Amino acid sequence: MDAKAMIDSLSDQFKGGIYDTNVESNIRITAKVKPENIKDVCRYLKDKLSFGHLCCEFGVDYPDRNEIEVIYVIGSYEHPVVLTLKAILPRNNPEIESVVPVYWNANWYERETYELFGVKYLNHPDLRPLVLPQEMLGEWPLRKDYKGFPNKTAKNLV
Amino acid sequence: MDNTVGPSEMIIHLGPQHPMMPGPFRLNVKLRGETVVDSEVEMGWIHKGIEKILENKTYLQGITIVDRICYLAALTNEEAYVGCVEKLAGIEVPERAQYIRVIMEELFRIQSHLLGMGEYASFVGFVSMFMYTIKEREDVMTLIDSVTGARITHSFLRFGGVRDDLPEGFKDDVKRVFTNLRKAIDSYEELFSTDSIYKARTVGIGVLTPEVAKDIGVSGPPLRATGVPFDIRKDEPYLVYEDLDFKVCTQTAGDVFARVQVRLDEMRESMYIIEQCLDQIPQGPLFPEDTPYGRRTPVMRVPEGEVFHRVEDPRGEMGFYMVSDGSDKPYRVKIRGPVYPTLQALPPLLKGVPLADIVAIAGSMDTCTSEVDR
Repeated sequence: MDAKAMIDSLSDQFKGGIYDTNVESNIRITAKVKPENIKDVCRYLKDKLSFGHLCCEFGVDYPDRNEIEVIYVIGSYEHPVVLTLKAILPRNNPEIESVVPVYWNANWYERETYELFGVKYLNHPDLRPLVLPQEMLGEWPLRKDYKGFPNKTAKNLV
Repeated sequence: MDNTVGPSEMIIHLGPQHPMMPGPFRLNVKLRGETVVDSEVEMGWIHKGIEKILENKTYLQGITIVDRICYLAALTNEEAYVGCVEKLAGIEVPERAQYIRVIMEELFRIQSHLLGMGEYASFVGFVSMFMYTIKEREDVMTLIDSVTGARITHSFLRFGGVRDDLPEGFKDDVKRVFTNLRKAIDSYEELFSTDSIYKARTVGIGVLTPEVAKDIGVSGPPLRATGVPFDIRKDEPYLVYEDLDFKVCTQTAGDVFARVQVRLDEMRESMYIIEQCLDQIPQGPLFPEDTPYGRRTPVMRVPEGEVFHRVEDPRGEMGFYMVSDGSDKPYRVKIRGPVYPTLQALPPLLKGVPLADIVAIAGSMDTCTSEVDR
């Protein structure tokens, strides 16, 4: 199955759930997904199209459009195609279903996206900060409007 | 991890500073007697915020920053970063520069495996091994030093090329070093395969099955030790790897011993690759002609777009996702390090093993905390 056939199979399965599909080359495909479909789409990708390797999952902040994109880069052990899935969330209340039941290693990626962007993952087994201290929660440092000061972790030293 | 302890149970904190730790992370282990019941990894002691820093640096300044992700894989990190920009801007790298990159990155793989293996052997109580490998690594570092002028952080790659050419007599130096290194690797293999104490501590310990390894997203030597031939150099060739003859080293046991064996084999393969490169390397320019991207362009603008580029790190799959908005700085850079899923997989792997095996299993993954924290 080549890249074109894979993306067709995906958009046939989820009519309306998958949109803006694009075949960039024979090893790179992109698609956008409705946030409510994400878990079913991932399940289908893993079981039917052998996309078994979640490369990474992260957020990108777009303050002008008032949106946060959550991007899933999914590869495979059987074929060389890499799929980039994008879910677009509102910036004031970003919420999306966790994909940990499908991709086990999404656990840390989601914890990191939560503490850096404030994306809330529903039904995540253990949603707490990973690399940042507890005091930094609510700052969302990787959003574009983060100023960096006053430094909460240095307390009264700075 | 549940923090309540039952009768004859206790919680031990290993780290953040502990002789076995290949970097500052903390492993909280709950023990019943000497058996691990549950464990938990805590991260963040050396979080550097490199992803945020890169958003505020020009593309050229970024090369210096990505060196600092992990000093044992500085050049492969640069390759992933520079590769992203080259894909976005559509820059063709001249063939000679591609060959030089392959040579340097394979030398890096050798020195990383040598240090990782030596460190690992000292974790399981074989401290003299560290002295042997660090001696051979010094020769390899001198080779790298003679090209890039640095030992740890190089800033050697440029968009569309490399900073410097190979020095005169490099081929002879490589030949001299590799003759010794081949002998050394053979002797390590003999030591490992005949030492009964070492084998008792490694064979059948920390076994990963291919299904579990795929499920937890492990890549690199720990995955190849389970028999899955997953290697970005073969699956998604970059640079001139397509034209080179090499095999993907795999083992089937999936235990600690197999992981070390894969690293030994990979060092031999890397040496073979470098020798082919030195024979085949053509003469020519180090930068593409007639492009604005060269050695002397501190400010460059990259066209709008998004790209995911991945390369084979000494530890596995290293990927960069870059979003460009057309300005002179990247809009967002995501660094996908190979150790991230590996470290995450420690708690399930450690369940039910004796306390003494924690070191053997955690060390064999060749974890680099600096890269996980970024």
